[in-house]
Amino acid sequence: MSFAQAIVENVLKLAEEKGAKKVSKVLVEMGELLLINPEQLEFCFQVASSGTIAEGAVLELEFIKPHIECLLCGKRYDEPIAICECGGIIKVEGGKDMVIRKIEMEV
Amino acid sequence: MHRIEVDAEIDVLEANRRLAAENREFLKKHGITAINIMGATGSGKTLLIEKTADALGDKVRMGAILGDVVGKADYERVARHGVKAEMINTGKECHLDAHLIHHAIEKFNDVDLLLMENVGNLICPVDFDLGEDYRVVMVSVTEGDDVIEKHPEIFRLADVIIINKVALAEAVEANVDKMVEDARKLNAKAKIIKMDLKKDVGFDEWLEWLQEVMSKQNGR
Ligand SMILES: [Zn+2]
Repeated sequence: MSFAQAIVENVLKLAEEKGAKKVSKVLVEMGELLLINPEQLEFCFQVASSGTIAEGAVLELEFIKPHIECLLCGKRYDEPIAICECGGIIKVEGGKDMVIRKIEMEV
Repeated sequence: MHRIEVDAEIDVLEANRRLAAENREFLKKHGITAINIMGATGSGKTLLIEKTADALGDKVRMGAILGDVVGKADYERVARHGVKAEMINTGKECHLDAHLIHHAIEKFNDVDLLLMENVGNLICPVDFDLGEDYRVVMVSVTEGDDVIEKHPEIFRLADVIIINKVALAEAVEANVDKMVEDARKLNAKAKIIKMDLKKDVGFDEWLEWLQEVMSKQNGR
């Protein structure tokens, strides 16, 4: 819920600066490692935005993959694992950001 | 009215980072050592805080923040031990964040040690810096000896990893050595403590670590 609230607050602030009457779409880039359930976030976004000019806006999520690589053999993985099959330690980079990229609004 | 598309570059998690930095500043100013204790429900976090309060209560000024989704059972347990305690109910949230702590820490400006019990899970608290000095992760052998390899992220970022209830390992067929090995592979510098709070195993080691980091803090 705090994520959704933070998104709504930021969106409203920018919309206000632009003198928008309505916000129709918000594009958010999300790191996969945040492990956020998209449906839950969308639901919370609807709740947090109700009664504001962002009520009913579409929340579009784009997931960003982290860079996961074994420090020993260099093998790459799609998902974070504890230890590489070669026994090496895994390095994890990125995948933990949440950035609002685009806001569609009516002015 | 017409529709426009505005390019934004708004880092949503920035607010938490900023508040965490403010918390850190506050703690530093008042000479408080703050410890974020994470772990699943039932891993023994509350009992660890209770026992620490009994052991150190008359030597250091200790405070505790108890985070939980609802209810105040943990708060009542800890307050009974005569330390200043504060309950934070997170409602729908599965973790504490810097904002929640921000409101609570003002009451603790006169303590030397502040233990913050996070909400009971091994996933969500990982991403939220509270402004703490140290991160402690507590697991128990009853969660299965694969619990560490299943949650690499939280162990990777820990300063202390406590494996609790080791006296039950045989009964639940958990391999403690495997757990220690998994933890070590993920985190080369964390202190790993094998503990059993009900049998007083490893508790002295915990107290030693606490006193060590507190004296380091006073010298900063
Ligand atoms: Zn490898």
